[in-house]
Amino acid sequence: MAACAIAQAALVAASPGDWPMAAHDDANTRYSPLAEITVSNVARLRPAWTFSTSTDKGEEGAPIVADRAMFVATAFPNRVLAFDLSGSGPRLLWTFDPKANPGARGVACCDVVNRGAVYADGRLFFCTLDNQVLALDARTGRELWRRSLGEFATGQSMTMAPIVVRDKLLVGNDGDDFGVRGFIAALDVATGAERWRAWSTGPDADVRIGPGFAPFYAGDRGKDLGVSTWPPQAWRIGGGTVNGWLSYDAQLDLVYHGTGSPAPRNPVQRPGDNKWTSTLFARRPDSGEAVWAYQTSPHDRHRYDGGNESVLVDLAIGGRTRHVLLHPDRNGYVYVMDRATGELLSADPYVLVTTSHGVDPASGALRYDPGKDPGLDRVAREICPGSAGAKNWQPSAWSPRTGLLYLPHQNLCEDAALYEVGHVSGTPYLGTQARMHRAPGAPRGELAAWDPVARRKAWTAREAFPVWSGALATAGDLVFYGTMDGWFKAVDARNGKELWKFRTVSGIVGQPVSFTAGDGHQCIAVLAGVGGWAGLVVSNDLDTRDGTAAGGFVEAMKDLPAATSRGGMLYVFRLP
Amino acid sequence: MSSVSRKAAVATALAAILLAMPGCEREARRFDKAPVAPDARARAGALASFTAGPPGRGLQERAAAGGYDERSAWTLAQGKRWYRWFNCIGCHAQGGGGSGPALMDAGWTYGKTPGDIFTTLMDGRPNGMPAFRGRIPEEQAWQIVAYVRSLSGLVPSDAETNRGDELHGAEPEELREPARPEDKR
Amino acid sequence: MNDALDAAGPQAAWIARLWWISLWLCVAVFIGVMAALGWALWRSHRAAAADGNAPVRGDRALRVLVASATLLSSVLLVGLLEASVLTDRALGRLPRGDALSIRVTAHQWWWEMVYEDARADRVFATANELVIPVGRPVVVTLEADDVIHSFWVPNLHGKKDLIPGRSTTIEFRADRAGRFVGRCAEFCGLQHAFMAYDVVALPPDRYAQWADHERTSAPEPRAAEAVRGRELFLTGSCMLCHAVQGTSAQGRRGPDLTHFASRSHIGAGSIANSPQALARWIEDPQKLKPGANMPSHFLPPDDLAALVAYLETLT
Repeated sequence: MAACAIAQAALVAASPGDWPMAAHDDANTRYSPLAEITVSNVARLRPAWTFSTSTDKGEEGAPIVADRAMFVATAFPNRVLAFDLSGSGPRLLWTFDPKANPGARGVACCDVVNRGAVYADGRLFFCTLDNQVLALDARTGRELWRRSLGEFATGQSMTMAPIVVRDKLLVGNDGDDFGVRGFIAALDVATGAERWRAWSTGPDADVRIGPGFAPFYAGDRGKDLGVSTWPPQAWRIGGGTVNGWLSYDAQLDLVYHGTGSPAPRNPVQRPGDNKWTSTLFARRPDSGEAVWAYQTSPHDRHRYDGGNESVLVDLAIGGRTRHVLLHPDRNGYVYVMDRATGELLSADPYVLVTTSHGVDPASGALRYDPGKDPGLDRVAREICPGSAGAKNWQPSAWSPRTGLLYLPHQNLCEDAALYEVGHVSGTPYLGTQARMHRAPGAPRGELAAWDPVARRKAWTAREAFPVWSGALATAGDLVFYGTMDGWFKAVDARNGKELWKFRTVSGIVGQPVSFTAGDGHQCIAVLAGVGGWAGLVVSNDLDTRDGTAAGGFVEAMKDLPAATSRGGMLYVFRLP
Repeated sequence: MSSVSRKAAVATALAAILLAMPGCEREARRFDKAPVAPDARARAGALASFTAGPPGRGLQERAAAGGYDERSAWTLAQGKRWYRWFNCIGCHAQGGGGSGPALMDAGWTYGKTPGDIFTTLMDGRPNGMPAFRGRIPEEQAWQIVAYVRSLSGLVPSDAETNRGDELHGAEPEELREPARPEDKR
Repeated sequence: MNDALDAAGPQAAWIARLWWISLWLCVAVFIGVMAALGWALWRSHRAAAADGNAPVRGDRALRVLVASATLLSSVLLVGLLEASVLTDRALGRLPRGDALSIRVTAHQWWWEMVYEDARADRVFATANELVIPVGRPVVVTLEADDVIHSFWVPNLHGKKDLIPGRSTTIEFRADRAGRFVGRCAEFCGLQHAFMAYDVVALPPDRYAQWADHERTSAPEPRAAEAVRGRELFLTGSCMLCHAVQGTSAQGRRGPDLTHFASRSHIGAGSIANSPQALARWIEDPQKLKPGANMPSHFLPPDDLAALVAYLETLT
């Protein structure tokens, strides 16, 4: 029985032909209501125009479309290109170079990516790798303000796509691998002044946990858990960066975000639950105050991280409408949670999982398998999912028409061993070595259509490489995604049948978007440019003879250099 | 045994011992302080944090004076130890790279002579290599330099380290081929 | 006093008891055998002196004597075996209720001790010293970072190897207060002989005080020289290997120095801890412990004095 998805209230973009933020809307659905391109005519889709980004690193960003213009924030050097869409071909409106410091490239764990800008009220906001947050005038490209939120010399960088909630720009940092203490901050959209900052570890006051905090599960209740669940002082270099996706529910007035994995990656050096890393938070956007929190992976021992997206939908579960969030976590489970209270409604695996035996419904705790814990120079094998997660940063898309969540992801297991690591500010704080490989009996990459009410996959599309790009769902019942060897594909949203594909100049790890061109026709845009953590073997020209390179990803991607090469290109497609 | 063949045997044995003795020199270890005081720049301007520095002038003259010896297996083994201790693995893995470039291939962004690598290590590089000047003592830094060169087979293979005890990533350093002349930048 | 026969706990007591039984049994047997040998020599000498060709007398009596001696030896051996089995069984049956859990990792050539706790914020680390409460069982998890070492506190228990890639445990209990010495008992390289650690058994309330103190971060130095010493520590090479809790020094390749000044030795038993010894150690550890992984330092004398002043505040 098909899921009956009830239309979300007021969770759509201001104009159906726009794409003002990387996730399309505050609910992070990545669903375009445009239906000109359909299942029957998509086979005729062809490129309308292209533009080189002048970079050769991973392009994980989403082209932003608003006010008849398109804005592309590139990988380092984090330039912004603005295009006028009112005509038929590309016309460059302006470009902006933030003059980011190249030294920050040394602290980018997972390629020098940028996941997109955000448009609001005539202003364009984006982050640079060296921790600057900038606001530009969207019409002219003039810099309105610039704020520095940290020093890359400490290991911190910024890669995420911010969001705007009323008068505040919400941003977070990156750098779990360097022992950077994570935070989410709100800056005033007009001046850039910092209004509040909520840390991911430390005393309750720092985490903005106050009297209004009401976590659903007992394991998340207590005073100053951000200190007491760590060895003394370890929380100061404990990670938990907010480098993932932010979503917002205007009716409940709650911002949802995850925190990153704890530092060091070696779990033996940090006994305790390590709160509040690998945790889902619901916060008030005006004050940052935490309303509820749920730690998806306590004492995270496989770098699972909690930063994946929370897609806000209303579902009919158990005979009534529930306001839920769908959170496909890196630990291998799709969490369906009541977004008002943090109650877990279901958590089901969408990949092979050997590191845990489900989530306990009574306590909400992840039931780890201790046999998969690596030791000091003692290798643990078949850790599934591995440290790349079942699904990493690459965002999923939701279609209210089919009631399916489209998950671009990978099936990778790993072998891992530990070593003792000291923290030296600005250098990696890891303590693990790993080697990834394809999970037994599964393809390396997959675009899966997940039915959150039936709690299983409706269909999957198998891919040779991990599907590291984002997904796009449209009202024409299409799902668009890209492969790491450069194929941009459209499949039928109802059954996964491949309907169209196009070979781009480089592997695709970006987020596809859909918008209306100046002449009223629907277009699809995507950035090609292989890279990201999965593509480091190509974008950083690594040596495939060392399987532990790039955190073990190289072992699983030795064939990528033969399948694609570096390059950065914006593609816009439309029907002829 | 006849007197002639006995003398021949003794002579052969003596010759073998005399020939083998110079090999001992290579592995002789010094347990006192290095005879050369370190460069004053190594102490001055030690940074509070690890900022990637501008390209340095190079401390090439230190190579000979500082006792750099890449033919000594102990030097390379100590270099391998420091490579792990000081978090080089975090960015460069076992030579394959990651957020940092690969060290086991034939490409050298900033040069592959011992002086070049020492400068890279001590002064950092603009694209993100941190500066370890004042942090890693010079003697240990030269040992790391020797080990880094061994990652791509640039040092005598009989001195190179063999299989490590950790998770196997790349084949042992002693089995790595040196870069071909046409590969060098 | 480093004496396996001076047992301070039940494990060592059992081992010492077995040792004494073996000793006296073997002494008795040895005396018997020597006596029989002496008698045989004297008899044959007398027989040869009296009549060179006389046959050996009492053939049958001799056979009985030998047979019964053999039987007696077997009985004694079985007795020893029995004693050994009983000892082994007792060693494995130490009651472990309310045991203190310590994780020891052996490095070349020092010992890392991490005192575990159910509450993560009560965990602390120290080095080259094992302080335990009297009367409470201690379960030590043994791991090694590089090569095989061996954990041996003669007054408390026997030896147990620490093998890289494996995790094993040893359990013991100190039944009286005192200072003991632990050593590495498996050759592990150049400085195997200087890899000792102080073992101190304290009454439970004094132990609790010590543990609470170890959990605290290093105090802020007040004297200007010590402040400068901390600056040198944090901006120089020290922080790359050593940790001082409460500062940005979080290295793990050398001993944790948070409460270094309260330890009785430097360099895993190499020299007694005093400011003068510390200065000599920092300047040139290779002179005191050749081959140790701590490098020599070229510090101007006032820098060295400042560093020593800072380290002396780490009580």
